[in-house]
Amino acid sequence: MRPILEVREVKKSYRMGKVLVPALCEVSFDVREGEFLTIFGPSGSGKSTLLHLMGCLDRPDDGEILIDGSNVLKLSDDKLAELRLTKMGFVFQFFNLLPKLTALKNVELPLTIAGVPEKEALEKAKEMLNLVGLEARMNHRPSELSGGEQQRVAIARALINNPKIVLADEPTGNLDTKTGWEIIQLMKKLNEDKGQTFVVVTHDPHISETADRIIYLKDGLIEGIKEAPRRNKQ
Amino acid sequence: MKLSKILATAWENMKQRKLRSSLTTLSVVIGITAIISLASLGEGFRFDVKQRLEQGFELDVLIIFPGSFMAGLGQSFNQTDVNAIRTVNNVTLVTPLITMPTAVIQNMNDTKLGALTLGGINFTEMQEMLPERFHLMQGHFPTAEENKSIVLGYKTRILNDTVLANVGDNITLTLVDKYGVYNETFEVAGILEKGGTSGITNFDYWAFIPINTATQIPGVGENYQILLAKVSDTKYSEQVAKEIESKFKQYSITVFVPSSLMRQVDNILNIVQLFLMAIASISLLVAGVGIMNIMTVAVMERTREIGILKAIGAKSRTVLGMFLAEAALIGIMGGLIGVFAGYGLSYGLADILSNFIQPSRQNTAVVHVPETERMTITPVLSLEWTIVAFIFAIVVCIIFGLYPARKAAKLNPVEALRYE
Repeated sequence: MRPILEVREVKKSYRMGKVLVPALCEVSFDVREGEFLTIFGPSGSGKSTLLHLMGCLDRPDDGEILIDGSNVLKLSDDKLAELRLTKMGFVFQFFNLLPKLTALKNVELPLTIAGVPEKEALEKAKEMLNLVGLEARMNHRPSELSGGEQQRVAIARALINNPKIVLADEPTGNLDTKTGWEIIQLMKKLNEDKGQTFVVVTHDPHISETADRIIYLKDGLIEGIKEAPRRNKQ
Repeated sequence: MKLSKILATAWENMKQRKLRSSLTTLSVVIGITAIISLASLGEGFRFDVKQRLEQGFELDVLIIFPGSFMAGLGQSFNQTDVNAIRTVNNVTLVTPLITMPTAVIQNMNDTKLGALTLGGINFTEMQEMLPERFHLMQGHFPTAEENKSIVLGYKTRILNDTVLANVGDNITLTLVDKYGVYNETFEVAGILEKGGTSGITNFDYWAFIPINTATQIPGVGENYQILLAKVSDTKYSEQVAKEIESKFKQYSITVFVPSSLMRQVDNILNIVQLFLMAIASISLLVAGVGIMNIMTVAVMERTREIGILKAIGAKSRTVLGMFLAEAALIGIMGGLIGVFAGYGLSYGLADILSNFIQPSRQNTAVVHVPETERMTITPVLSLEWTIVAFIFAIVVCIIFGLYPARKAAKLNPVEALRYE
């Protein structure tokens, strides 16, 4: 089966003042459809950069990123935005919810951007909040929710457009261990129930161990890829 | 993202920053209020002036004076001149007027009538010349045989609410000059209708005798001080005026063209109005700079929000649209409120101005002071100006909103998400 996402010899460096700091040096790997993949590495290893490139939020200096077999770097910024809207979902460390909107409105947002009729969007948003166990808190604003609750809202928002890939950047990084674990379990459950591909960036070895596959990243290079064969899907 | 949704989102954002949005809108309101109030006031003022000019002048009648206003109106016309003007194309009628300002008119009780000027005219021609104005209230116009008849202007015969002369009364006319004393009794044949407003052909303070009688008076003779010429259409007025002037090469004459005066006055008022509105427009530009300033700050404050929107799939033009929609909404609201406020303000200004501008009295030397006609300007809110101002408000807001909105749209999502 063709990988859903392919990273081919991707390079990326950042300019810090006058110095060019390399973040990724020639990284190549595949993401298989339906798997739960973690990218593990210490801070500064380039894992967030890699996730941003996979999520088409940024463009690499060199290399290719293929989604469903086509090179997305040839697409315009607007086309990339559309791709993010329809095929991807994002979960961030700091939740990144809009503070002025209620949980429900935050979850609805991608559908609103996509131009889905309001009534339909509302129904779907309620359904998603139900799925992450937040039906009772949907009219609360992010400031009135706990960190775990906020991350659940973010997950609901990431899943509402029924994306093929969900990209999570340190989703437990801002949560206590217990809540973080619950969030990972929720994502695992969604991965199993709905078959959506999850790519989770983490520096927590306990969390990375729960994955079907782990990519070890250090200093912008892949140190190794570890499979968990017993969990591997057909 | 649908436009309606973009507008709704923009509206929500504005509601969340009520004070800031209202203050920004207020600046647009002030600009539009200034523009609209000046426009309606100017429009009303022009309308009023135009009406006054129309009441004061017959637009198709040229008034011809011998000499020039600068050099003095020394000479006079004669019948040859009248005949010469009659030959000019598009002139349908020419009638002479003899003025005798030194004439004294008294009733049988020797009370002086309030006539400023005695005129010698051809009554038939004058009726034809000024059909709207030259009307009798009582009596009749003298026939050719009635050479000792006089027609009085409406206000000449009233002194402190007392009527000094009626139709059928006899009055005496005295004219003293270097040729001797002319003293004759005339019968009042008719009384002219009230003229009302000021203007060159208002006859309220005139009295008229037949021209043939006037020419017989020693020292008066066939000396016409004013000629009136009617043109077939006002569009020929200026051309006719030129031709008439060209007939009098040997000495200068002055042809007064009411329609061109009216056009000039209208032009001047137009320029003044536009000038004032241009100044008022500056305040709208200032408002625009304010919008640009506040929106640039807003974009910085909302960098993270913009990053989130872009990360979850909002296109640059959606972000652009959201910010432009806010600017446009400020323009729409400011424009709407400003139009109403401006129209309201124009009434206030009209009231203040009306107290300042008093019409010049017809002649303060006359014992009968005409009722003061207080100049009242009624502001006119023209649809054109309303639309122009409204669109101007929106366009200014959008243009000044464009820079911050583009700044927002161009943000790199990764950097925007990292922004604290």
